[in-house]
Amino acid sequence: MELLQITKLSDFPLISTKKIVQMNNVYTSYDSKNYVLKEITLSIDRGTIYVIVGQSGSGKSTLLKLMNGMMTPSKGTVKIDYQTPNMNDKKFKLMMHNIGYIPQSLGLIKNITVLENTLIGALPRLGKIQSLFKIFPEEEIAEAKKILKQVGLEGKEYRKAYMLSGGEKRRVAIARAFMQKPTLLLADEIVSELDSVTAREIMNLIADAQKTMNLTAIMVHHDMQLALEYANRVAVIKDGEKILEIGVEGDKIVDFQTGNLTPDEIMEMYSVDAKK
Amino acid sequence: MTPKNNLLIGVVIALLVAASYNIGANPIDFVEGLPNLAIIADEMTEIEPTLFVTAFWSMFETIQMAFIGTMVGVVISLPLSMFAARNLNSKYVYVPVRAILAAVRTFPSILWAILFVIMVGLGPFAGVLAIIMYTVGFVTKLQYESIETIDSDPMDAVKSIGVSKWQLIRYVVLPESAPHLLSQMLYMLDYNVRQTSILGLVGAGGIGFYIINYIKFFEYGKAVVFMLVVLFAVLVIDWVSVKIRDKYIVKSQHGIEVSTS
Repeated sequence: MELLQITKLSDFPLISTKKIVQMNNVYTSYDSKNYVLKEITLSIDRGTIYVIVGQSGSGKSTLLKLMNGMMTPSKGTVKIDYQTPNMNDKKFKLMMHNIGYIPQSLGLIKNITVLENTLIGALPRLGKIQSLFKIFPEEEIAEAKKILKQVGLEGKEYRKAYMLSGGEKRRVAIARAFMQKPTLLLADEIVSELDSVTAREIMNLIADAQKTMNLTAIMVHHDMQLALEYANRVAVIKDGEKILEIGVEGDKIVDFQTGNLTPDEIMEMYSVDAKK
Repeated sequence: MTPKNNLLIGVVIALLVAASYNIGANPIDFVEGLPNLAIIADEMTEIEPTLFVTAFWSMFETIQMAFIGTMVGVVISLPLSMFAARNLNSKYVYVPVRAILAAVRTFPSILWAILFVIMVGLGPFAGVLAIIMYTVGFVTKLQYESIETIDSDPMDAVKSIGVSKWQLIRYVVLPESAPHLLSQMLYMLDYNVRQTSILGLVGAGGIGFYIINYIKFFEYGKAVVFMLVVLFAVLVIDWVSVKIRDKYIVKSQHGIEVSTS
């Protein structure tokens, strides 16, 4: 009887399809007058790295928040695995357990240790009493330590988060996201303000996870160079509109969708991004 | 100085004079009364050292009262503050909770003490209950205010994992507001020791009982022994709380400075 009631695809919360994110003609606004995002249509393949490039204030962060349900669009549709993201929806909340979100400020809890910050990613798997008394099962702790080793924080498990450097803090945020066993990782400006060596180390961590965990990583950058180096696809956002989408294979650009843009305009944009 | 400022200063001075006249606050009386102060000060020098032992024991009782009152008060105010914080609840929850707290805060601890002396009789227990009420009223307010000012970024980041509200409180709100809580506990303990010292006035135990009685019988030399002990105890508590603050709070304040907020 239970089975017969399932009539729509969206009743399968974790259905595996090629497209994990689909946005169709999305508009958002904070004050119902000015649109932060306009006419955004995009679809993202499972298991790829998708980078959104744009200047600050171009609406990039808003785009990520639409994907984990922290915001809802004013117009248009957003679908993550055929579900509409909304953090107040119980069914989508189950899905949020496996969506890693790293805000630009990282959102670490500064007075607790690196290990505890990482274990927060395992909270959805924890019972009520266990979480009240901070009793994490041995295997979760072992998993957290394994992930911390993977992100290069071995030996720093018991440091307080505020004692870490900028690069280390980003690794903790990544470890917390990995602890969620994510299918989707949303990272907002995770390598900005880092030197290029550290930035590449961080990007390598995510690129490795994409391959080994079949992770879909959607990242926001302002550095076009780094985006092209790591991404399978790059979208460029300007004033809330997607003006360019590039498909990358190795070091070749295989696909180039410019909309109504002239080559001059694209060049101008590149130089703007180089200046940050 | 603009004419507008001059006018404002004039108005304030006029109000001061008028108010002083109304309540009969006469500076001349103050000057004429100074010799009386000298008499008291003179009598106060006739200290009775034999009373120091009694004074220390009654101070010890006072500190214990303050300690119980502060700890129990904080334990009660912690969950209350979670219900009173605007960023954790709908207004149908925090408005009534805040209204009750405001009512609790309306009475100073000495009035609570009178109420509890009527309820449970004379003695330290009434004082402890009064301190608890007072602590709950204030610590809850301080605590929900610090909860409301915690960084929204860790909240959003952890919320986006899809955790329950109680997990959010346990893993974000509590650790983020813990340094404030510790600081408030120390402040409250410090304050409650002084408070408890005067609760004896209404028979609610502690060192104040001795002070008020010796003053009533003009035995200033005896009263001053107890006052000195209060002064000493307050200084010691102050010193200890500075040490604790340095060790646990200043460090985590550093953490606040590192993150952008």
